[in-house]
Amino acid sequence: MKAVLFDGLVLGLQYGLLGVGLTLVYGLGGILNLAHGQMAVVAAISAALAMNAGMPAVPAVLLGLLVGGLIGLLLDSTVMRPVYKERGESRVLLSLLLTIGIGFVIDGLLVWQFPIATLRLNIGGGPISIFGVPMRAGSLVATAVALIAAGLLVAFFRYSVTGRAVRSVIQDEEGARLVGVNPAAVRTLIFSLSGVLAGLVAVTRSMTAPIGVTAGISFTILALIVAVIGGLGSVAGSFLAGMILGVINTISSFYIGTYITTIVLLTAAAVTILIRPSGLLGQRE
Amino acid sequence: MLEISGLSAGYFGEDVVHDVSLNVSEGEAVTIIGSNGAGKTTLFKAVCGLLAASGGTVVFDGEVISGMAAHRIARSGVSYVPAERHLFPRMTVQENLALGAYPDKPDDDDFELVFDLFPRLSERVGQRAGTMSGGEQQMLAVGRGLMSKPKVMMLDEPTTGLAPKLAAEAYAALARLKDQGLTLLIAEQQVPLALSLADRGYVIENGRIELEGTAAELEKNPDVKRAYLGIA
Repeated sequence: MKAVLFDGLVLGLQYGLLGVGLTLVYGLGGILNLAHGQMAVVAAISAALAMNAGMPAVPAVLLGLLVGGLIGLLLDSTVMRPVYKERGESRVLLSLLLTIGIGFVIDGLLVWQFPIATLRLNIGGGPISIFGVPMRAGSLVATAVALIAAGLLVAFFRYSVTGRAVRSVIQDEEGARLVGVNPAAVRTLIFSLSGVLAGLVAVTRSMTAPIGVTAGISFTILALIVAVIGGLGSVAGSFLAGMILGVINTISSFYIGTYITTIVLLTAAAVTILIRPSGLLGQRE
Repeated sequence: MLEISGLSAGYFGEDVVHDVSLNVSEGEAVTIIGSNGAGKTTLFKAVCGLLAASGGTVVFDGEVISGMAAHRIARSGVSYVPAERHLFPRMTVQENLALGAYPDKPDDDDFELVFDLFPRLSERVGQRAGTMSGGEQQMLAVGRGLMSKPKVMMLDEPTTGLAPKLAAEAYAALARLKDQGLTLLIAEQQVPLALSLADRGYVIENGRIELEGTAAELEKNPDVKRAYLGIA
């Protein structure tokens, strides 16, 4: 049981990181990026291709993360431009349609060009015992990376001038403009950051399970569930929801079976929306 | 310091403010008097870049600022305190003030200046803006606007939702800012308060400037007396 819980928290941290990018992009500009998972996959496959070409793992992974960030930057500065011109519901709707299309295009291109490309990072060494639970070295490295990333994110939002500016746009865009914050620049920064974070999740996942070219849609769905349960726009909510869902996921796949896990997660999302439409830590409108 | 000439602006292609011209000199306090819907807020939004003007120009400190993005106008030294305040509700007083200095890191002197003006805020540095009373939020909005060391501050109905005593306190604080040399442009419905502070004033009706003069002249004007001072 302790091992299942541990595994769940490890997974949950990654879920949290996956949801953070999606939730921030939505909180800033009302854009639901359904190509979120594809950014993760492109980053992972870039790293895999670089490694196949002979690049050592660490620079290859960094290159992959850079590519993830560049995809975010590219999306923000091209196809999202007309979306930002819309307001309210039509903006959300247009963003859904465009990003789901982009997701399909990326999926198609990847399957066409690199059908068998996979990222799998083998972290050597045997199981290490943590509080009496033997943990795979891959899980531990993945957890360490996710923890550091989460810590950096929290510090960035709480203490840096730029991080504060990001929060100001989420809380009151007009107020942000009045103190001299440029919302467009903040959105570009966060869209790029969400690409890097998505890539980071794919990379850490690949330390315990291989990431193939078609994994995008399931990453996106996971990110959506995490963001919705946590409350769209809430960083803390995303991590909280990620942890809870990670534990639910491992418990249900351990005691019931892997095939049912997605159903359990979706049910959790549905129940959350019924009880708290704004999510765990979301702000009521 | 601030010259508005022939400014027109509105929403969805329909002008609300028509051909407004006015100027504010350095160190002066100028008030714009008008009832609800007269166009005061629209005028202010157009000046500070939140709304695109459909005609006319705004020159600030020798530079044309009409057409510039709101965040650039804010950084150039025009501070706008809207009636709805637009604070960051889930941030503390401290964080709200710090953002006022954006993109610079605020220094202690900036905070001191604000806390000196509004001692109440210094007792509440850790409180979230959204949980404060209306009067405190108004103090915070003005305080945040001061953090960037602006050359001119535009305030849209700074007494909105305030009890008479708090409204008087707000104006006492604005008077201190004027004494410190800050240039003020204040839109107001509470005409006696506004005229007690202002050097000059403009009366705006249906989006047009109908009257202008010194505060003393406006106070004596029979139309102003009837419409805004409640004196027959």
